[in-house]
Amino acid sequence: MTDRIVSVLRAIVFIGIGLALCGVIFEIAGYSAPLMFQSIADGAFLRSGALGHALRWGLPLFITAVGVAISFRAGYFNIGAQGQFYMGAIAAAFVAEWLNGWPAMIVIPACFVAGMTGGALWALWPGLLRLKSGADEVITTLMGNFLASLVLVYVTSGPLKDPSGSGQQASSRPLDAAYRISTSYGLSPTIVALAVLVGVLMWLLVNRTAFGVLAGLAGRNPTMVEWQGARIWRIGLASFLISGALAGLAGTIELMGPNGRLAGGFLPGHGFTAILIALVAGLSVAGTAFVALFFGGLASAALFLPVMAGLPSAAIDIINAAIALFITAKSGMIDRIVKFGRRAWTRS
Amino acid sequence: MREGAGPVFACRGVTVRYGHVVALAGVGVDFERGMIHAVVGQNGAGKTTFACVVAGLVEPESGELSIDGQALSGGDVNEARSAGVELVHQSFALPPSFTVAEAMQFGAEGGGLYTKSMLEKRWQPHLDGLDVRVSAKRRIRDLPIETQQGVEIARALVTDAKLLILDEPTAVLSPEGAQKLFERVRRLKALGVTVILILHKIREVLAVADTVTVLRGGRLVEGPIPCAGVDAGRLAELIIGPAAHSLGEEEKAALTGAAIPTHSDDISAPARAVPILEMKSVSTRPDSEGPALDAVSLAVRPGEIVGVAGVEGNGQRTLVRAISSLIHVTNGRIAIEGRDMTVAPLGERRAAGLRVIPFERNVEGLSLTSALWENWSARGLLQKPLLSAISPSGLRRRCAAALDAWDVRYADVGQRAGSLSGGNAQKVILSREMDEEARLILAAQPTRGLDIGATAFVWDALRKARARGCGILFVSSDLDEIFDICDRVVVMLSGRIVAEFRPPFDIAAVGAAMTGVTR
Repeated sequence: MTDRIVSVLRAIVFIGIGLALCGVIFEIAGYSAPLMFQSIADGAFLRSGALGHALRWGLPLFITAVGVAISFRAGYFNIGAQGQFYMGAIAAAFVAEWLNGWPAMIVIPACFVAGMTGGALWALWPGLLRLKSGADEVITTLMGNFLASLVLVYVTSGPLKDPSGSGQQASSRPLDAAYRISTSYGLSPTIVALAVLVGVLMWLLVNRTAFGVLAGLAGRNPTMVEWQGARIWRIGLASFLISGALAGLAGTIELMGPNGRLAGGFLPGHGFTAILIALVAGLSVAGTAFVALFFGGLASAALFLPVMAGLPSAAIDIINAAIALFITAKSGMIDRIVKFGRRAWTRS
Repeated sequence: MREGAGPVFACRGVTVRYGHVVALAGVGVDFERGMIHAVVGQNGAGKTTFACVVAGLVEPESGELSIDGQALSGGDVNEARSAGVELVHQSFALPPSFTVAEAMQFGAEGGGLYTKSMLEKRWQPHLDGLDVRVSAKRRIRDLPIETQQGVEIARALVTDAKLLILDEPTAVLSPEGAQKLFERVRRLKALGVTVILILHKIREVLAVADTVTVLRGGRLVEGPIPCAGVDAGRLAELIIGPAAHSLGEEEKAALTGAAIPTHSDDISAPARAVPILEMKSVSTRPDSEGPALDAVSLAVRPGEIVGVAGVEGNGQRTLVRAISSLIHVTNGRIAIEGRDMTVAPLGERRAAGLRVIPFERNVEGLSLTSALWENWSARGLLQKPLLSAISPSGLRRRCAAALDAWDVRYADVGQRAGSLSGGNAQKVILSREMDEEARLILAAQPTRGLDIGATAFVWDALRKARARGCGILFVSSDLDEIFDICDRVVVMLSGRIVAEFRPPFDIAAVGAAMTGVTR
């Protein structure tokens, strides 16, 4: 129980320090920090309808982040969520194109299956390389992100190119409205239901199956699990496939929901924000839901920053980066702060 | 060497704390010049910490140290070395890729530019003078373990050391190797070097030392006592302390190495029963973790403890990994209870009743950062399909019941395995591996690093498993414990089984087999 409290405190401290640091930076840069915080709070949560926007950004992030958490728990640093997200969206876009004209009852499920398969396959090859030949998954999944971006550019300016598109950015033909699962607003009962379903299933997988316990053990000490007779590669490959499939699912949702079409280089920070969410949440499924909602709020606030505080919307990227910096570099420091606080608390 | 009148080394009130653990508490001793001083005690008594304090590797929290009457500040290796103190570690510290001559030069003063042959010319006389018979040209990694130790000692004596500390030097040696080491130590004494030997066998203390100092739980029990005035029984009681009376004489002797135990359990192993483990000329490929197995044939029958003796690094680890299916068998056959398991994965072998207490408790046995109940449940969970549902609260309850039955001291089954002491951690592994369905138990160094109480507990558990009809393969480099609990002993040398012994065991014959001396 105390472990859980410590991890919640830790997440809050990470985010707090990241925000404070950004306040200082923007203040020095000549912007108003109080105004920035106020506009973030307004844009993310306080404005009427803000919760809907936070969910629109937060739910796909949550789905990808849960997948990331599953592979991190099993000890595999799959940082290829971005590429798996793209490949899922691409696979779904192809299926939607091929089945164009069929009833939505068939096309939509087929697109989801294709999207999850696409994401899973994009995680499969780094997984196999890692488990069968020991190739570092950090390198291969990172390369996979670049490859997937290039494939996306190729697909949107080649096979799926919208001939009527006149914008500077190549994009695919828009999906038939019948195949969309939400309007451009980006929130619909289908998406909420999918996110809840993913959350429940993954929580059960992690906390209520043999796989969950064994993957957790293998993530901390694979040698010990091997001496217990586990075939590590099965656990490892399953984690890769699940994380890839969930990223692909999020890509499919973004395609068939708010975006309605593929655009070259769309949502370039999705996968990395998801990694950040998983880490801030301490790789717990329930924690990921809350943290994803928070980052969803930040993402929607990004649209209001230029209007309200005169800040570029990239300010949100800087905030994300600051939080990431503390989470990767200073987890030991946070532990010390928590320990110090606890000691002060017991003394008083 | 400057001759003084007082003791060569003296300390008063030395206290060392690691976190909450008191490693040494107010230790004060004087060591006379030109003698061989033994320091003994159980695991965890503070022997190695004491050696490190003398050598300046550990800074005591309080206390005074002096060499030749001159005070040392403590915790300063360079100061201790310039005062003439040298320490040879339990695990050797010479770079394996160096030649002997390079290893000597490393740490010696002076030199500047040199050539290989100059180095060899400089150091060969030093080695010869200490009677370390080795060519200065050879590489450390190619040397047998006794010679490596000789080189370590020679390296420690490149400066004019007056106090040489050897930390558990016999742990890696065969009995004969130990005899040779003792001769070397006596020669050093004749050269005027004072030697402190950290030992844990009474037999060895009485064979070589002039005085003995006993530590228990970080405190000085008594010492230095002249060895002439003490016998093995008294020393065993000093080492074990108040618990001594609850142990049998044989057990006590085996625990402290007071005498060579003779096997007394009279269990007639049913020789005709189907062996629980049968290996027929099993060979493996060499890998980084030790020599390959070379046509190993071995059988373990129900109700039998078979000991695997040998100097460490002669294929014992490969043997355990081959039986556990963690290394590829290139030739031969492995059967468990008559079923061919040569290519069966470990999961299948475990389902057939194989259990493993691995060498590395903290790496292979437990995940230190995971909860106790997760560690404990791993074996059972692996026998189910990966996606089968579990109830964590049920697993926690069952784990708690098992840990209580095995007398593990813990606060909560949710605590991390790394927060337990070595003995308790080992009991967690025993409670997982020695269940009712166990048929063949591989016990690899199951008592290493445990104190006397925990060691006796492990032996007892193994004997109970034997009484239930399990077959046990017991790997150890400690002949005393092997002789005490095994019904049969095989000796491994360079990946082969070179000899087999039955009780009563002849330590000289087993020792000779360990070093490959044919008789």
